Amino acid sequence: MGTLDYIWMGILAVFQGPELFSVLGLPVSVTLVMILAGFLTGIAVGATPGLAGPIAMAIALPILISIFGYTPDALLPVMGFLIGVMKGATIGGAVPAILFNTPGTPDAYMTTLDGYPMTQRGKAGKALRVAHFASASGDTFSDIVLIVCAPFLALLVEAYLDLPEKTALLVLSLSFIAAVIGGSPGKGLISIGLGLLAVYIGTGEDFYPRLSLGTQELSRGFPISTAVLGVLIIGAVLKELQDLWRQKRTIGDVPDYRENGDQRLYWADIRRLMPFVGRSALIGTAIGALPGIGSTLAATLGYTVGRRRYAKVKRPDAPEWGEGASEGIVATEAANSSVSGANLIPVLSLGIPGNAAAVFLILAAESIGGFNPGPSVFRFTEDAVNPELVVAFGLFTAMMIANLMNWTIGGLFMRSMGVMIRIPKHILLPSVLLLTLTAIYVQETRMEAIWFAMGFGVLGYLMRMLGISPLPFVIAFILGGKLEESARQAFAATGGDPWFLFTSPVAALFMAASVAVIVLTQRKPAQTHPRERT
Amino acid sequence: MQRFVKAGITALGFAVLATGAMAADWTPPGPIKLLIGFHAGGGADTQARLIAEELEQRLGWEFVPEQVTGKGGLNLANALKDAPADGTTIGMAVTETLGYNMAASRTNMTPADFTGITTTAGFQMGIVSLSSKGWKSFDEVIAAAKDGAELRFGVMTPKLADLAYLLSKAQGVEFNIVSVKGGKAVMDGVNAGDLDLGFMAGIQAKGVAAGDLVNLASALSEPLEQTPEAPTLKDLGVDYNADGYFVFIGPAGMPEDARNAMASVIGDIVNDPETKAGGLIKKTFGGATTISGEELTKMLASDYDLAGGLLEAASK
Repeated sequence: MGTLDYIWMGILAVFQGPELFSVLGLPVSVTLVMILAGFLTGIAVGATPGLAGPIAMAIALPILISIFGYTPDALLPVMGFLIGVMKGATIGGAVPAILFNTPGTPDAYMTTLDGYPMTQRGKAGKALRVAHFASASGDTFSDIVLIVCAPFLALLVEAYLDLPEKTALLVLSLSFIAAVIGGSPGKGLISIGLGLLAVYIGTGEDFYPRLSLGTQELSRGFPISTAVLGVLIIGAVLKELQDLWRQKRTIGDVPDYRENGDQRLYWADIRRLMPFVGRSALIGTAIGALPGIGSTLAATLGYTVGRRRYAKVKRPDAPEWGEGASEGIVATEAANSSVSGANLIPVLSLGIPGNAAAVFLILAAESIGGFNPGPSVFRFTEDAVNPELVVAFGLFTAMMIANLMNWTIGGLFMRSMGVMIRIPKHILLPSVLLLTLTAIYVQETRMEAIWFAMGFGVLGYLMRMLGISPLPFVIAFILGGKLEESARQAFAATGGDPWFLFTSPVAALFMAASVAVIVLTQRKPAQTHPRERT
Repeated sequence: MQRFVKAGITALGFAVLATGAMAADWTPPGPIKLLIGFHAGGGADTQARLIAEELEQRLGWEFVPEQVTGKGGLNLANALKDAPADGTTIGMAVTETLGYNMAASRTNMTPADFTGITTTAGFQMGIVSLSSKGWKSFDEVIAAAKDGAELRFGVMTPKLADLAYLLSKAQGVEFNIVSVKGGKAVMDGVNAGDLDLGFMAGIQAKGVAAGDLVNLASALSEPLEQTPEAPTLKDLGVDYNADGYFVFIGPAGMPEDARNAMASVIGDIVNDPETKAGGLIKKTFGGATTISGEELTKMLASDYDLAGGLLEAASK
């Protein structure tokens, strides 16, 4: 079994999976159909303000698992769908940003700056084409980086890191995530701490369920789906409902700008835009590879770097930056789209999720079983087939297929999604709430699950009110079990050495970095905005 | 020739129908909730689901599988204990759950709170290492440890941790006993070099056959089927063993006809290597072991009583 054999098996796993139907005698595998379905759903969801990729992934996951079951055969169809949603949502977010000056997803905010002015000038079609081109390029570039880098990083980790170093690496990732998400390391640490507290209830090695207050309900711990969906989705819905109630926001008449003139995208345009795409794709990929830094920051950085270059190369007759320059759209969309692929580098090679989409991919893998994202996936066994590696290459194949769909039909579908803004939020939000609770009950068929989810929803709402990002909570909840396990194992494997995190140079370096990253991020904002320090 | 084959197949079909009809003297009053004490997607979970699938096909019973994992099966036992005892809720666990784990835990459950239905397969629990380590026998492991090598010994349950500890004491060495989640995690750890040796309950079969892994000792009272020459724990000076089975259980007080009917149909399935479940068991454990009825009740009770001795010995 060489590397090429594994790649080929991964490709075959996607194309020759369980057959759904056949076209002209050619079997169409269910995985292909699920990728397409996910991709189209993703575009629609991304184009709907108030919905985002993670919401669709959260609701779809339990339903898909109940359809496909808990067999390893279910991995590729279910995760293919999620990957499709992830990719679709990234390009969908640009639609309302360009057409109605409302970002469909938070990372598309910068797209409104140049996209909406283009719409006002009657160039909506061209703006959408430009956005799609940039988005698809950035996404594809990022996936290629992922496919090349993830296996090597995993092999490095497996070859050089022992149990204590792996524990220290988990500590470092949690501290990095606390430091970079949400802007305040203090709040990030609170979020991480609460997540760890929640996951440690009812779990552990001892036969006696810890922290369960003697109750039967808590002794099994919180099901992972209730914590993740509760904090991320229900919390967001509650917050949105409050905003709606406060602002009494109504969808007024949507202004209708008529398109005029040539909307096509020419080679000359592409040649002019390519430098902007390239820079932003690099920025987005680099940021995506670090867990926790989201696509919004990538979009902001890409936009800022793009502006500097635009000032140098701008033709006199071209529109000003921020007043309808295609380059502005490109700089944003290429950056935020290139985050998604690179974000899976830490997921697949280390098992550490960096954003909400990655959280749901890990959730899918954990619920279905048979695939444990982490360094052990990339074990190129010679004599026997390593099924996890086949799944990994199957996922890479799925991503490339989604990219292909993006290049071929994505643009067309995306341009037809302008209608999604007309869905009123006061109907959308309760529907999302109902669907989320249903989805949780489908997976955890006991009533406590609903109460847990509502409790986590309230927690997520309160965290949002206090400006604490709920994402570190969720990531800590997912990594908490792994952290405890590897710490216990490292402690035992070193013969009960209490200083196991500091005795090897690599582990000590990771631990020093975990402290440094918190201290440094805390100091930096204080220097740039002295007044904020109170 | 073809006619004979056809006739044979028909006869086999009738035979299957006949056993089905016999068992169907008892029919479940509704869908059966099947609690599974193992992580989704693992070997044991697959075994449980395949058995349920086959029962659905053969008898038209309806199963609702639910994962209740954690605490060495005690979470499952807790959920099962107060369920209705009419055969509509059963669970699949290992005998260790009702033995060592109940004895060691601070919960007040005993095997008397449950009805044993049937075992499906016995562990082929070996002490396994990579063959590239160069150890041919367990004596060589002990020699290496005495030479000062710090050896990491992977275990997946507290009972096995106790056994590893007693083994090290009996041999006058020290192991760093590392507890991981499930037999597959032990195998992954051994393969990745994080662990030097460890207990594996049957998943090592393929690796041992391929020559990548080696069974250094049997953790059972009997020698391993695959490596009969490996010494047993008793040979190595430990009076306890890791004998254990996958077992279907129900709440205490299940009616006799329900218990027998289930035991008989499950037994038919796991003993038939042509079924998916039977095939899996054959491949992993060398064949099914079905202990049911009074014999199973006695075995569960005696496992529980013996666990006290092991706990006592390991705490010294």
